[in-house]
Amino acid sequence: MEGRIIVVTSGKGGVGKTTATASIGAALALEGKRVAVIDMDIGLRNLDVVLGLENRIVFNIVDVVNGKCKLRQAAIRDRRIENLFLIPASQSDNKDILTPAGVERVGRLLKKEFDYVLMDSPAGIERGFENSIASADEAVVICTPDVSSVRDADRVIGLLYARSITPKLVVNRIVPEMVAKGDMLSHEDVIDVLSVPLVGLVPMDQQVVISSNVGLPLVMQNDSTAGQAFRRIARRLNGESDLPIQVPSHKKGMWGMLTRKFGKK
Amino acid sequence: MLNALFKRFTGQTSTKDAAKKRLKFTLVCDQLEVNDSTLKNLQGDIIQVISRYFEIDREALQLEVQRDKEVSALVFNTPILCVKKEIATAVPGNKGGKKSYKKKKK
Repeated sequence: MEGRIIVVTSGKGGVGKTTATASIGAALALEGKRVAVIDMDIGLRNLDVVLGLENRIVFNIVDVVNGKCKLRQAAIRDRRIENLFLIPASQSDNKDILTPAGVERVGRLLKKEFDYVLMDSPAGIERGFENSIASADEAVVICTPDVSSVRDADRVIGLLYARSITPKLVVNRIVPEMVAKGDMLSHEDVIDVLSVPLVGLVPMDQQVVISSNVGLPLVMQNDSTAGQAFRRIARRLNGESDLPIQVPSHKKGMWGMLTRKFGKK
Repeated sequence: MLNALFKRFTGQTSTKDAAKKRLKFTLVCDQLEVNDSTLKNLQGDIIQVISRYFEIDREALQLEVQRDKEVSALVFNTPILCVKKEIATAVPGNKGGKKSYKKKKK
């Protein structure tokens, strides 16, 4: 059976695309799937450091598209998580080195090799974005609950719809205390504005910074709330569509557990 | 939760409501933005159609998007020099004067 190519995108930069790609990719691999995560941010690669694989780069996606190496030569195998592979971006080129047609061609090869291919799109809606969505079957749009991120997400969602892709939304960096106070858009507000299906809610979590410091996949840390949220997102993408979406909550103890139970949507 | 209630009773609006309101308004405006090349193409097409029925002054015509709070309107203004009789009679309801096409905001 052919694999699925999922682009992870957002429009705005710095909302957590790379963390999401690394986490969802690692989580899918932990579910037993053969996964490739591909850094499409040519010239500003970062997926390698987030995954702690920066020292093992030999070839990159530009080499693959331009025929300088085989797909298998460029795919770095993660030694901690079985079946997780990274194809890094080139650091010395710019976005124009790739074309949507070239990426589409490699996309067909990738689908034969992997169950899931996650494309980590660069910020913006120019060539890098075009390249990232060229071969995508599905899309995950990441946004944070602030006006600039939601606005850019809306733009990107429009562009995806124009290609007949219905994106799934992840609301990232939710601070439950601020939502409770009415000082942060709730996920309901964001969905109301964007009207796309939701695939997961990720709380703000200091572990994201800590695990990127050491290059350890977030989903391997059991005490990371964001990591757990990404694991649930991966399961939902992997066919468990009836897995309930947990709303991040700041309450601890008995009362918190109760409200979390009934606050599920 | 209590905080939100307190704010509601004291008449303070929460900042997220302001954010949501601003977002919704901005997104509608964003969707109604037309770039210059689209407008130029549209103008060319309109001229083509109108020229089948009227002689118009191509230099003096104007095409613009007028916006106010309630509606956005596409306004096309052109002086008519002469009606092309033989075709104009074939299509009833085409009279001279200003043409304006209104488009309601979603």
